[in-house]
Amino acid sequence: MLVRNTRATARLLCAAVLLLLAPAVFAGGKIAIKVGRIITQAGPDILNGVIVIEDGRIKSVGPDSKAPWDVEVLDHPELVAFPGYVEAHSTRGMDRPNENIDVAPFLDVRDSIDPISFFFEDCLRSGILTVNVQQGPPAAFTGGCVIGAQGMVVKPFGLTIEQMLVKNGAGIKISAAPKAGKSRATQAQTLRKAFTDLRLYLDKLVQDKKDGKDYARREALYQGRDLEKEENKKGRAMEGSSTWKVKGLETVPRGEIDDKQEPLLRLVEGKIPAFVYCDAAASVPLALGVARENGFLAGTTLVLDGDAWKAADLIAEAGVPVVLGPNLMHVERDPVTGKEIETFVPGVFKKKNVRFALQSLNPQAQSLWYQAAVCVGYGLDRKEALDAVTRTPADILHLGDRVGSLEPGKDGNVLLLSGDPLSITTTVQYVVLDGNLVYDRSKDVRVKHLLEGVEQENAVPGGADAQAKPHDDEKAGEGEKAEKKKDAGEKKDGEKEGKKDGQAQR
Amino acid sequence: MILALALALTTVPAHATADRSGQEPQKRWTIFADEIHTSAGRTIANGTVVVNGGKIALVGTGREETPEKELLKVHAVTAGLVDASVRIDSDAKSVEQSREVSPSVRVADSLDPFAIEWDRQLRSGVTTVLVNPPDFDVVGGLGVVLKTGGPESIAARTVRANAVLRGAMGSQPSVGNHPAFGRPTDFYSRRPTTRMGVEWEWRKAFYDAAASQHDPSRAFPGSDLVLRALSGDLTLAIQAWSTQDIRTAVFLKEEVERELGGRPRLFIDAAAEAWKEPQLLVRSKTAVVLPPFPMAAEGNRPAGRTEDGAFMTLEVARLLYEQGVPIALSSHGAAGIESRLPMQAAYAIRGGLPFEAALEAVTISPARMLGVEDRVGSVEVGKDADLVLWNGTPFEPSSRVVGVLLDGVLKVDPRAHE
Repeated sequence: MLVRNTRATARLLCAAVLLLLAPAVFAGGKIAIKVGRIITQAGPDILNGVIVIEDGRIKSVGPDSKAPWDVEVLDHPELVAFPGYVEAHSTRGMDRPNENIDVAPFLDVRDSIDPISFFFEDCLRSGILTVNVQQGPPAAFTGGCVIGAQGMVVKPFGLTIEQMLVKNGAGIKISAAPKAGKSRATQAQTLRKAFTDLRLYLDKLVQDKKDGKDYARREALYQGRDLEKEENKKGRAMEGSSTWKVKGLETVPRGEIDDKQEPLLRLVEGKIPAFVYCDAAASVPLALGVARENGFLAGTTLVLDGDAWKAADLIAEAGVPVVLGPNLMHVERDPVTGKEIETFVPGVFKKKNVRFALQSLNPQAQSLWYQAAVCVGYGLDRKEALDAVTRTPADILHLGDRVGSLEPGKDGNVLLLSGDPLSITTTVQYVVLDGNLVYDRSKDVRVKHLLEGVEQENAVPGGADAQAKPHDDEKAGEGEKAEKKKDAGEKKDGEKEGKKDGQAQR
Repeated sequence: MILALALALTTVPAHATADRSGQEPQKRWTIFADEIHTSAGRTIANGTVVVNGGKIALVGTGREETPEKELLKVHAVTAGLVDASVRIDSDAKSVEQSREVSPSVRVADSLDPFAIEWDRQLRSGVTTVLVNPPDFDVVGGLGVVLKTGGPESIAARTVRANAVLRGAMGSQPSVGNHPAFGRPTDFYSRRPTTRMGVEWEWRKAFYDAAASQHDPSRAFPGSDLVLRALSGDLTLAIQAWSTQDIRTAVFLKEEVERELGGRPRLFIDAAAEAWKEPQLLVRSKTAVVLPPFPMAAEGNRPAGRTEDGAFMTLEVARLLYEQGVPIALSSHGAAGIESRLPMQAAYAIRGGLPFEAALEAVTISPARMLGVEDRVGSVEVGKDADLVLWNGTPFEPSSRVVGVLLDGVLKVDPRAHE
């Protein structure tokens, strides 16, 4: 408990420091940005242009845009303006997102998202301004799910979920990959059964209504739902294109449908998107099959990993967009020759004309700009690569009218880069979010630390973590080394680590 | 005209053997490149490199008529990359466990030419590597400089056998040892169990070796090699991650110079924290091999943190370069596209190292440290035809290695990517 508290405090402190240092001018989302080059991602670049943002929205973009007299001007002719990157799917930024229940679409990641997670800080400094946070898989320490929580699109700034919110109900996470402890067959069975259960449940509701039973109504009141609300009052026939329908659903007021079943019904009716995780080509047919049978194929995005690219033909035929796994190069060993075969995954989907978005490999160095750069190295057009980290993910998240490019009417999210977005020497100098300057690299203490080793002023020597639990870092580092003299080393492990503590805190 | 002359002068006999199909591989190539980065002080625009019989036959700007099957057209050419610290096959199996000081153990004897790792290095543009004995012993043994491809025997790929005497400072060599309180319990009830002990083993090795010249009873297996390292005849490579260990290594060097009249040629490997006291390295004329940049958090280790608790800044390469410390970059044999040697150069550039210096830090600079600069490390006539072909500016993440020539043989074909 002590450990947890110390860490949390340290992080809160760090977050507070970052916020204080950033010249967070909340001028009501009103700012003008003058730069040497604007890459709009919607037409040709603009040289020496001005972006005017008012009320958090972009008002004008162009070489001759005029800033109102009362607006703060961010004047940097040496910098390049670029729309914020969009992360189409991420399982980071949450605290213990694990869920044991197989089918839990009634949960929402809003209750797991940790606003002061370093992840969001890293997103901000690498220019990712829109993140779709989804429950695992894949994620470290996550056993996965069958049908997981509802995701949420956030911006990486703010100390509460409300401040971070971009869009609620971004999509339900589904996994076609076996959850820990499940076989592929039981995963498939559980996934299909969830929809059969929904259907049986709805049938029963209709039957109960016919029979004059009011269990559902009483349960709804017990759960605290307002049955007098307009959308809850009336029944409605089942919508969507599923291969099954529930006759007489219109007789049941929507408010009487159990909270635990309602999100799946919304999925089947095509009212909420699905992000379906496929760890391998083997899980793609299941993912597409379930989506087809239950009518939500049109709202489905596949989140791919491993050799799922081998099912590219199936995916192309289904017409769904994909979010590619963070490892752009798939490496496998030919079982016969023993030689390694490398496949550049985005190249495969480009050939098949499948819309794809990229994911960060990690929030620090191999962020979205890097992934896009690698794509250019492997033969994608610059435009295709940049679209895969801006416009395409924005479309996948149904936010195409808000983010992904610099156009009038869109959210006032602008990156000020030191150079070309895809170059190794380019850094994010400033971030404007909803028309507010929220990040200034020159005041980013953590960047200073990583660059020059400069400690922030209130830093505890060795770090708060090191003080609270000095063993962890060392253990992780020593793991492989310890192998050599394992048998001999075991007995006196405690003693050895005692000695190393001194080093860890140096 | 110059071209013809150069070709006439450099008909070097092919010494590589035929492959398993019995065919002699093609060893004559002409490369047209928009940029040739020579690592020898000049960059040639719209240049030509001609390779014949495993050697570089011409570097210049003339463009003669060339038969299609001998012609390669790319954006940029650099020398084959050199990594002075790859960890291939260097696992516990190849550790001498009976003694902590085992100078005569040769890592070359534990290497497998068929291992998949060589191919990975070759694909990422690395053509010459120093392979070291693992650092579980204080003085681990002799490292070997190898080509990453070619004939399927380690001996035939060797550029320089017994190139360095390799050892380590820090916590790694003492891992697993424990003190014998009362009765020794097993084989590992022995020194060193601490950093102090590791250093003591080093000094004992040097002092014993020096004394063995007049007192044969002080000799130990391999003490002749330690003597050679002392005299500077054999390069000394010491792994030291943190400032504390870098100091220990430098002080050891200065002590043996002072006390034993030695002149060791030292480079420090994995010197993550060298940025803290660069003047120490300048003073002692010590070269440095940097470990892979810890760009992202890994497991429990946050970004910036490396082994032995050392903190490596992004600016370390630039800082050392500006101080005049010879630097080499290393990937430690990593295979992922985000951690390969070309990306290490990219990270150094991101930290402010000029392109030219970054190029040298992965080519000629490590070649010099390993004493193989007469054969590899730059694009110059007469050197081994180890070349890397790029589809864009070298080291940028938006360009990549599309072709690799090793001893004049096309190992990765740029035409396959078109």
